[in-house]
Amino acid sequence: MNRYLKLVNFEFNRIAKVYFVLLAILLISQIAGVIFSSKNYLNETNRMIYEELIPKAEYLSRYGPMSMDQVLSSIWFIGPMALCVALVAFYIFLIWYRDWFGKNTFIYRLLMLPTARLNVFLAKITTILLMTFGFVAFQLILYPIESTILKWMVPKEFRVDLSVHELISSSGFLELNIIFPNSIIEFILNYGAGFVAVTILFTAIMFERSYRIKGILLGIGYSILAVIIFFAPIIIQEFLQRYYLYPSEILIVEVAMGIIVTCCSIWVSNYLLKKKIRI
Amino acid sequence: MIEVKDITKKFGRRKVLNGVSFTANKGEITCLIGINGVGKTTILNAIMNLTPINSGHILINGEKIKKESYEKITFIPDAITMLPQMRIAEAMGFMNDFYDCWNQERATELLGFFKLKESERISDLSKGNTAKVNLLLGLAMDVDYILMDEPFSGIDIFSREQIANVFTSHLIEDRGVIITTHEISDIEHLIDKVVLLDNGNVLKEFNAEEVRENENKSVVDVMREVFKA
Repeated sequence: MNRYLKLVNFEFNRIAKVYFVLLAILLISQIAGVIFSSKNYLNETNRMIYEELIPKAEYLSRYGPMSMDQVLSSIWFIGPMALCVALVAFYIFLIWYRDWFGKNTFIYRLLMLPTARLNVFLAKITTILLMTFGFVAFQLILYPIESTILKWMVPKEFRVDLSVHELISSSGFLELNIIFPNSIIEFILNYGAGFVAVTILFTAIMFERSYRIKGILLGIGYSILAVIIFFAPIIIQEFLQRYYLYPSEILIVEVAMGIIVTCCSIWVSNYLLKKKIRI
Repeated sequence: MIEVKDITKKFGRRKVLNGVSFTANKGEITCLIGINGVGKTTILNAIMNLTPINSGHILINGEKIKKESYEKITFIPDAITMLPQMRIAEAMGFMNDFYDCWNQERATELLGFFKLKESERISDLSKGNTAKVNLLLGLAMDVDYILMDEPFSGIDIFSREQIANVFTSHLIEDRGVIITTHEISDIEHLIDKVVLLDNGNVLKEFNAEEVRENENKSVVDVMREVFKA
């Protein structure tokens, strides 16, 4: 356990600089987004009211007040978030391959540590989870700050204040609802599915690192099989066109399938790391 | 004792090791000699469970390698196994964090022995100094066995001499060493046992001291005889 935690700390420190730079980009870009969106709105409002001489009430009924969901749809907001998602997706592969293909083959050291090799696997997956939840938590902290900036910039009669919850649930972007689930059930489903996907990908990487070219095929085969098993309850229902289970029961079965696939992936990865992996 | 018993290893259809057997004892320096591609590095990787073998057995003190074994045996590959952005002090800190057998006193002594500075970054080191840091990280562990893969490869003569001095110092003490090298002349007089390899087979295994005393031949003489034949 102790060595596992040390490995997690070590793995996180390896990406920490890039990670904190991305958080800074997220912060700067989104706050800039709030400022620019508010300024644009105010400029347009002033032009309409003072140059086009549209009454304030008519302007508001025609164009609506300013709110955070308008900021949410801007590139200033979505762009850095997409960058963070892309980094995590890319890092799922890089976290393993850089240890083999880096200037110094650090994988020698990792595989010769006096601890179960599975701890290396678990430390890397924990790092991915920490990064993901770190981004989400940071974004949730940023929302109220951004809302406050909006309040400073836009007069009360021209804005609608939305709480974090209202903001997330009012968002028209499906992607945002995936990242920020509305309920605990959605959280378990979204992030549970993400975790299962990462364990499947890690296992596929272990296959490739163990058997090289043959391993790519084995990895793809394993991934397809794991996805089929994971979605089996839904696939069977749709295929047979008979809906034996209530949606809540389907949810429980899906969670169970997710646990089964995750356990299988960890077991297979442990076997490959112990018996088949090669430098 | 490290026992390598009849191990075979294939990469695809190519058989790299074809029933290799030998033993290496504690307190002895065993040298694996052969041209490039005969499987010297593969044998060391196999001993450390870094590459799976197709058949045969490898035992360390009578047991198969397990996680605890990495506190008793260390491998110094031909490339450094630490991150390039680390300073030497950080690399030593990493070893101290993860290995109970890490001996900080010996590490400090080795720093002085190799004239290295703790504050130096690994990526800034010359090839010779990188090899020395690699050796430092392996030798500073209180282990029974040390495996070294081509420790003299691509290193200038002064660094080679410095590294060769390690073998005559107390830093090796009564530990068992398995070394692969082309630069046999640097340590020929220190070797206890030689395993000559060719095409994945052991051509000859002999005691260097006996050959020196009884036959009045050097290791290189025996190599010439065996490889010419």
